[in-house]
Amino acid sequence: MNEKRVQEEQELLQLLKDYPAPEADAGFYDRALVRAVHKSSRRQRNRWMLAGFGSAIAAGLAIWMITAMLMTTPQLPDAEPVIPGVTIAMEQERTVRLVFASAEALDSATLTVSLPEGIELAGFPGQREITWETSLQEGKNLLPLTLVALTPAGGELLARLEHKDRNRTFRLRIDVS
Amino acid sequence: MTDPHQTEVFERLVRPHFDRLYRLAWRLTGTKAEAEDLFQELLIKAFGMLDELVHIDEPGSWLCRVMYNLFIDQHRRFARQRMHLVDEGHLPGQGLADLAGDLDPVEDRERLEKFRRLDAALQQLSEEHRHVVLLHDTEGYKLEEIEGLTGIPVGTIKSRLHRARARLRQILQEDGTIS
Repeated sequence: MNEKRVQEEQELLQLLKDYPAPEADAGFYDRALVRAVHKSSRRQRNRWMLAGFGSAIAAGLAIWMITAMLMTTPQLPDAEPVIPGVTIAMEQERTVRLVFASAEALDSATLTVSLPEGIELAGFPGQREITWETSLQEGKNLLPLTLVALTPAGGELLARLEHKDRNRTFRLRIDVS
Repeated sequence: MTDPHQTEVFERLVRPHFDRLYRLAWRLTGTKAEAEDLFQELLIKAFGMLDELVHIDEPGSWLCRVMYNLFIDQHRRFARQRMHLVDEGHLPGQGLADLAGDLDPVEDRERLEKFRRLDAALQQLSEEHRHVVLLHDTEGYKLEEIEGLTGIPVGTIKSRLHRARARLRQILQEDGTIS
């Protein structure tokens, strides 16, 4: 290895060594311990309850459930994250299912779905943004959204989930064929 | 009801390893929310395995292994079904802002900028390469420890480490982060 290469290697190793990881929030460890003990005990008592998806969210969103489901399972390449996408036909309803993972049950979460121009949610004609309050159960929570394309433009759907001071936004690319 | 004695024993066994586990969770997932989820899942699983845990000689290493397996078995597999997180992305430099203020503003900015570029460069690696380089070069795990954690042979780890560093060096040279 020549001198320049050695220097580059050293610079890189120093940068990696110094690369920070944030500390846990104050009180997080204590809360996690309490939850672990509580949930582990509860899981043993109520294993059967973990079998399904959140009934509350399913009931609340039943209006969007139709028979033709499309599960988006994007194959993420290693190099960089890719926004998952679906292709829908013009003026035909198509249901996509978003899956929200939650480490714990969340009451009174707020979900906001923002739609690109020319895409509508079935049952909500003309609305580009729909917000409602819902609850999530521990584990995977399914959100079926039935979409209709009124123009061929497509775009990006955003689903923003907020609970207290935390929030996540999920993106879904929609192409229209 | 949970036996208070069990809770006490559990806490005594796991608490000394919390910082190490949280860092591992962070390195594996790259986002705060997912690191917290993984950490929480580990504790729930570990508490359910308390009978086994009390007989483990090195609970720290054991917990790291359980966490890694949890990540592989559940987290990464499930990630294929999850929507991309806009706010938290994947290693978006979260937490870097917390570092500001230690040095003078110019140094702070330069330092943060370097880490942001490193973030971006790490993003261009495969997950396997990223984990190896973060565990070895950032967290200081020995090759044998990574083998114990991941089950990947040392030879493969060395090869991944070599390629990961070479790729990082190339990216960071191109953007001027390293000379």
